[in-house]
Amino acid sequence: MSFQEIKGTLPAGSYYFSGNEAVAEGAIAAGCRYYAGYPITPSSEIMERIAVRFKEVGGVFMQMEDELASICSVIGAVWAGAKAMTATSGPGFSLMQEAIGYAAITETPLVVVDIQRAGPGTGQATRVGSGDYMQAKWGSHGDYQVIALSPWSVQEMYEHSIEAFNLAEQYRVPVFVMGEEAVAHLRERLEVQATVRVFNRVKKHGTPPFGTDSMDGVPPMPAFGEGERLLVTGSTHDEFGIRKTDDPRAHARLVERINNKILANRGKIANTESWYLDGAEVVVVAYGFTARSALFAVELLRKTGKRAGLLRLKTIWPFPEEAIRDVGRSARKVLVPEMNRGQILGEVMKYARCEVSGLNQTNGEIIHPQRIVREVEAVL
Amino acid sequence: MQEIRQVRLCGYGGQGVVLAGTILGYAAIKDGKWVAGSSSYGAQARGGYARADVIISDRTIVFPHVIEADILISMSQPAYDAYSGEVSPKGIIFYDSGMISPKKLECVEQVGVAATSYAVKEILQKQSANMIILGACLRVAEVVTKSSFAASIHENVPERFREANLKAFELGWSLGEHLKGVQEV
Amino acid sequence: MARDLEKYLRPEIKSTPFCPGCGHGILMNLILRAIDELGESMDKMLFVSGIGCAGWIPSPHFNADTLHTLHGRAIAFATGAKMFNPALNVMVISGDGDLASIGGNHLIHAARRDTDLTVICANNMIYGMTGGQTASTTPLGSLSATSPGGNIYRPFDLCQLVLGAGGSYVARYSVTQPLSLVEAIKKALKLNGFSFIEVLSPCPTQFGRRNQYDSPTEMIALLLERCISKEEAEHLSEEDLRGKIITGEFTGARD
Repeated sequence: MSFQEIKGTLPAGSYYFSGNEAVAEGAIAAGCRYYAGYPITPSSEIMERIAVRFKEVGGVFMQMEDELASICSVIGAVWAGAKAMTATSGPGFSLMQEAIGYAAITETPLVVVDIQRAGPGTGQATRVGSGDYMQAKWGSHGDYQVIALSPWSVQEMYEHSIEAFNLAEQYRVPVFVMGEEAVAHLRERLEVQATVRVFNRVKKHGTPPFGTDSMDGVPPMPAFGEGERLLVTGSTHDEFGIRKTDDPRAHARLVERINNKILANRGKIANTESWYLDGAEVVVVAYGFTARSALFAVELLRKTGKRAGLLRLKTIWPFPEEAIRDVGRSARKVLVPEMNRGQILGEVMKYARCEVSGLNQTNGEIIHPQRIVREVEAVL
Repeated sequence: MQEIRQVRLCGYGGQGVVLAGTILGYAAIKDGKWVAGSSSYGAQARGGYARADVIISDRTIVFPHVIEADILISMSQPAYDAYSGEVSPKGIIFYDSGMISPKKLECVEQVGVAATSYAVKEILQKQSANMIILGACLRVAEVVTKSSFAASIHENVPERFREANLKAFELGWSLGEHLKGVQEV
Repeated sequence: MARDLEKYLRPEIKSTPFCPGCGHGILMNLILRAIDELGESMDKMLFVSGIGCAGWIPSPHFNADTLHTLHGRAIAFATGAKMFNPALNVMVISGDGDLASIGGNHLIHAARRDTDLTVICANNMIYGMTGGQTASTTPLGSLSATSPGGNIYRPFDLCQLVLGAGGSYVARYSVTQPLSLVEAIKKALKLNGFSFIEVLSPCPTQFGRRNQYDSPTEMIALLLERCISKEEAEHLSEEDLRGKIITGEFTGARD
């Protein structure tokens, strides 16, 4: 495996950064040296900081004509050897979906940061929402897998951005950092270490760039200009990239492998965090900013002797099924507060064999801890 | 010092409320504290009323928004009217006494500082009022150290405004000296 | 394909998918001829193409790095590769629908930025692969699967479009003008900036069949008759110019 510890791109120490600034710094620390994007609220500060910082660290920044061009140029740069990313918000994320499917079938490692705002449509551009999780999973046509992370703090906006690149490079898959306006514009203390652990692309010359012996393997990935004479296509292809547009076995083989390489490693990829789960009768399952409201609520409840706990989902896709199953076995009731109409509630219901209910809010504001306290108190 | 302090600054857009919040938050980090800051964003921040919340704590902060302000710094009447009701019992309000007529509030101490008027007369720059009122507040309420705040001004304010901001902060700090035990300067 | 150019093709690919009479095979030949005459190394060539018949000219045939992309986005993909690794010699080969209709925005912005790409647009004036629907380049009055009464909208003048957007080198030739076309491709490849060549390429299967050109030779004859040089056009009246296609270079190579 190609993990290595490299020197950071910021001096070690404490910073007072916004979530968006932290994303930019995390990406740069992970080795991102190509960024293409199009301005959109509430994500634009990411591209603004990248534009300035790439001048210092030597990266290529492109402000493209739209989000379609942004993500497509990112894919082009990745095949030219870059670690590359784009950042956007809901409307731009919608525009990028076709290219995300392309990245999935061509096994192109890339990072998309989606700073979620209140949708659908133009919605409330400056307000918060968490409505893009199902789009992250199912936004492009056909069957494929992605990885989606859900940071809850400025620290995690930084760390998840590094992690996103590491996962993308390990599994050759699009990885999303699913930020929310409330974390993107929050300023917090960020602790930066002197070194960063990064995964660099596995290259093996002369081996097939789109095939492995096993049905859940990740092939090595060479770049353009290295004399490999690569054939990259979004059409169904064999292990060498030759188009196979009417061979049923070739199609099934490719589709199964790009799904299996993620699903078979679900246990390694999917990450959760447990708070006060010991003896918890009611478990709140939450992610992103809402998990902070939930933790605050759970701590208030515990102070009054109420047996509440929190399972925080740091990874949304692949979905942490096992952790949810465990909670479903131990708790009497699971509550899922979300800034949407229950996108993850449905997933939790699939795996938790206990009473599960949602607490949904779609007003463009964060869920206040007191709402969660009241909801838990009603059943305890 | 208390374990956690919730500070809210508010005023008109253009009074430098958001920048003041950033300077305060960064100063607290220099003091080794944990900090979470949020501010009004979007159309409001471009001319309407502005708000900056800063939570300062000795340990990591779970919920990063202000629930009840321990300290409210208000620089305009509409902002005062909007937020003076959300101050915690035993909280303290610093208001620009040239801009605001305070209401009677139970359990909340209120201190007037004629920040804008001092800014115009002493600094010859109306925009320095934010540093004056914050200087006075910090002297009285002891939120961050003076040296960290001055260093934070150095790092967060563009060079051409730096001297004026430091001077305004010093003026506010000295006004704060006289505030011990009085209601207005 | 001329035997001496076979070295530029992948040995495992034995045939092209183009219909009998399609002009794209000729264009394929001429692109490789230009590369051969310039002595360009295929190790540094990257061919980027979109969706449609012309997208298959380089992919999988050319024995170099090839990137077969999404419909309309070839130039955007190419921009990323070129900007990250300027040592790559990046050529975009695609059709009129791909580059100028669904991908029109990327075309004009790459021209505006003067990104160092060579873009070859194979213009067959129709959507060939999807079954002969009207394109933004279909001539007024021509019949198509979606214009049964004849196309009622004016077609784009692609060269004027790219010139207006700021392209450094712009030319138009037909596959019936092979020598001029090879020279133009060579100029475009050597130019350090955005170059665009519109190549008129007949589509007997979809365009010809619907517009009473019953054989590929009739379509070739039509191009020979309609395509006149810029210089010839200067001496013709408006009446005589009707139905003609003006070919040539529309700016000199900038450097």
